Amino acid sequence: MIAIAAVFLLLLFGASFIAVTERLAHGGWRHAFASPLGEAARLIAQQATRTERPDGVNWLIAPIGYLMVATAGLSVVPFAPGVAVANLDAGIVLWGSCEALTIVLVFLHGWSANSLLPLIGGYRYVAVALPAMLISMFVLIGAALPARSLSVAAMVAAQEPIWNVVRQPLGLPLFLLLGLTIGLRGPFDYADGADLATGTSAEVSGRARLGWRVARLAMTTAFAAMAATAFLGGYLGPWRPGPVWLIIKTALVLVLMVILGRNLARMPAPWMLSLIWTLLLPLSFLDLVIAGVVALS
Amino acid sequence: MSPIDLAFFVLAAVAVLAGWRVFATDSMVRASFLLLVSFIAVAGIMLLLAAPYIGVATIFMMAVEMMVMALFMVAFMMNPAGLNPMMMVHQDRLAKVAGLAAFVALTAAVILTDLPDRAVSADASVIHDLGIELLGPSMLPFESAGVTLLAAMIAAVVLSARSGRFGPSDEGSRPPGLVPGGDPAGRIPDDERSDKTESGHHDEHES
Repeated sequence: MIAIAAVFLLLLFGASFIAVTERLAHGGWRHAFASPLGEAARLIAQQATRTERPDGVNWLIAPIGYLMVATAGLSVVPFAPGVAVANLDAGIVLWGSCEALTIVLVFLHGWSANSLLPLIGGYRYVAVALPAMLISMFVLIGAALPARSLSVAAMVAAQEPIWNVVRQPLGLPLFLLLGLTIGLRGPFDYADGADLATGTSAEVSGRARLGWRVARLAMTTAFAAMAATAFLGGYLGPWRPGPVWLIIKTALVLVLMVILGRNLARMPAPWMLSLIWTLLLPLSFLDLVIAGVVALS
Repeated sequence: MSPIDLAFFVLAAVAVLAGWRVFATDSMVRASFLLLVSFIAVAGIMLLLAAPYIGVATIFMMAVEMMVMALFMVAFMMNPAGLNPMMMVHQDRLAKVAGLAAFVALTAAVILTDLPDRAVSADASVIHDLGIELLGPSMLPFESAGVTLLAAMIAAVVLSARSGRFGPSDEGSRPPGLVPGGDPAGRIPDDERSDKTESGHHDEHES
């Protein structure tokens, strides 16, 4: 029960934290706290538009499913020893299936609008997100190696002597790339990018748009908590209150993602695909080799 | 009826209904993702059977697989975007007979087989045992082959892509005509363009 409440509190905290941090980074000190709420109120009151013959069911499912998948992904993250909603033996694989389902749902969000720009966004996103997910699975396998287990709790426990970010230095940077992709942030936002007039959300307005944006923030939060758990020692810290450490580390990863999202350059999708397949994927193999050698020695 | 029985019947119903809708829908993308729903329900049944890895990995693999399948079906079927309604069944009678035969055979196999009913203890390390059972001592050759195949696939794409090392991959290729001997459908090869100014500009550009 405590764990379930903690998941929703962390989602709420993370989503509002990014919303405020992003506005602070933009230089809007005065309205940083009120403006997310104002924006939400504006979207609730806004009229909902419709395209010609959309796939209504899938259009509705996409944002709801995105939020559910973010929640499900966060459910494997332990807040303290033994405190997790789903203390699964195959926890890291469950997180992987949440990543895969995210790609499906973002694609459906673009496809079901029956409109040009959302459709391009959806297809373009799949091309970039699938290999990004591949990379994330390799670095997560690397992070699970020292624990000799697919359970997330065991992964945290195995970081007691030294955190994965130190012994597998390539892991966290490569994993952050996935976070930017599945949270649709910055240069990796090939689905909702500004170059496509917000892509898959171009035809979405009102409450549906609010739901989609909240789901994106929730997914980014779930990712940050997972990154903190897999590479930064999760709830481990010099003194006891574990959940506090997890929240601090999650917030740090979120700040890092806001900075990366604002400062990395946007690339044409074909360039990004070349970069991912020919440079970043081999790097993830190198990470796996490093993890294996360190685990054996 | 225990909650587990109830969950089984709900998941089984979802699997069968979604599987039926695959053939009743009129879109390749919808058909792919209805199949995904059916597989997710089956994965839920796997989880009920205390096979956590197989259940969760089924969701993972099928989500990726159906996404790729939807993409490639649309790409190969000349149905831009996959939004045009289309008939999803062909050879109706043969398909029905084959489906029915497969159903009868599988049902007979399930009923006639003497299935094991040994209960697995709650603290058994099922994932570890499954890994040993599947790969055992051949983990290293298996993984090496996997990485080699992946590298070969990436290399093939890098070499043969339109932006690849040996120039545009479609140079000199001619799309088939819509009628025998007719004009090419889609892109007209550069050297066959009747538009003189454009081909002249192209030559200038190349020299």
